[in-house]
Amino acid sequence: MINYYLTCRSLTYAQRSSKALDAARISNSVTRTPSGMSREGCGYAVKIRAGTLTEALRTLRLAQLLPKKAFAVYEDGHTEEVPI
Amino acid sequence: MIYLDSAATTFQKPVSVLKNVDWAMKNLGSPGRGGHRYAMMAADTAFACREKAAKLFNVKNPENVVFTFNATHGLNIAINSLVKPGMRVVTTGYEHNSVVRPLKAIGAVIDPAASELFEPEAAVSAFKQKLDKKTDVVVFNHVSNVFGYELPLYRVAELCRQKKIPLIVDASQSAGVLKIDMAALSASFIAMPGHKGLYGPQGSGILLCGSDTIPIMHGGSGSDSLSPQMPSFLPDRLEAGTHNMPGIAGLSAGLDFVAANGTERILAHEKKLITLAADGLSNIRRVKVFASSDALSQTGVLSLNIEGLPAERAGALLAKEQIAVRAGLHCAPMAHNTAGTLPDGTVRVSVSAFNSTRDIYALINAVKRIAKK
Repeated sequence: MINYYLTCRSLTYAQRSSKALDAARISNSVTRTPSGMSREGCGYAVKIRAGTLTEALRTLRLAQLLPKKAFAVYEDGHTEEVPI
Repeated sequence: MIYLDSAATTFQKPVSVLKNVDWAMKNLGSPGRGGHRYAMMAADTAFACREKAAKLFNVKNPENVVFTFNATHGLNIAINSLVKPGMRVVTTGYEHNSVVRPLKAIGAVIDPAASELFEPEAAVSAFKQKLDKKTDVVVFNHVSNVFGYELPLYRVAELCRQKKIPLIVDASQSAGVLKIDMAALSASFIAMPGHKGLYGPQGSGILLCGSDTIPIMHGGSGSDSLSPQMPSFLPDRLEAGTHNMPGIAGLSAGLDFVAANGTERILAHEKKLITLAADGLSNIRRVKVFASSDALSQTGVLSLNIEGLPAERAGALLAKEQIAVRAGLHCAPMAHNTAGTLPDGTVRVSVSAFNSTRDIYALINAVKRIAKK
């Protein structure tokens, strides 16, 4: 099972993104950005499930709410940046 | 005691506001300071409040709704962001010290487009004359905190738009009672308190941002923590330090109250009370009432004076009669200078959605007794 983390510039931005995903019925949650995914220090991300990344990015692009970066987190804990 | 000092703070709050403040004290952490339940509940509460404010004031992006501690805080941010030393700033003739003092502190040249009380056409003419290529910024008091005079904001905003002059709006007395449309106004900033017409607790306020900003407070924002500078993005850029979560939770309920009742209905109620007060008080010997002849350009605030009695003394006597009003200069000497009520000022009566005609009759009877002495 892969989870994706869409890192955001701020908590409020993450909340707006979450709401846009809610409206598109894409299951998500706002969470702290896991370590290693941000070079700026503290931050927030929107976590989505496997299989929803493409639709989530399309939704966020339409809402002009693209994340800073997207990361895949694999079952073994391995993290990998995904091109947006 | 009958409370008629809502232009300072609405004392009676909706029960939902009190409940939300209590709930926040028991359940909320700090937004942006963690991923645990208490922090995330605080984050949800803050975001919901931003969204409600964005909807009520027609702000497209809730990130442009910044929490402040009062309107003065917001005005300081707005003025600090746009005004530099020596700039010429045109204002109304009815500004509060929350505008005058920050402008003076920066070293701006204040050039009031002063006009007579309750004469909106004259106000528009004064601005038409004043606004030129040498005008750097306009700061506009939507409603005088002394007289309840509604100044012609939308018409002056249109003048500013035509001349491409940035506009800062002080909505201290209008938020919650008059239509404030950020998009229609194209304002650079609109500052408002949470604790007056929005029925939130003291220590809450909102700044609507439509322009680049310069922070006046620097510190933790819960974002971009490795940077020694404040973040470049709103709202974090202007919200250094821990949020007033009980205030924001209460304000959120206050915004619900205003949205549920409607600003038009609240305004109509307040106008009815002020018209009743003006009619009753103006029939009392020795009493001078400052009221709009047609009630169109006056909100829920009214000033009066009793001949031979200093305003402060009259206010104290009303307090003895169990009526809470404010007397003196109301932190707005410019307004008194424009209206000719310096140096003593006035006695100010101001109502809210929670006042009734009974309160106004009690005021009229108390003023009658005081004026007789």
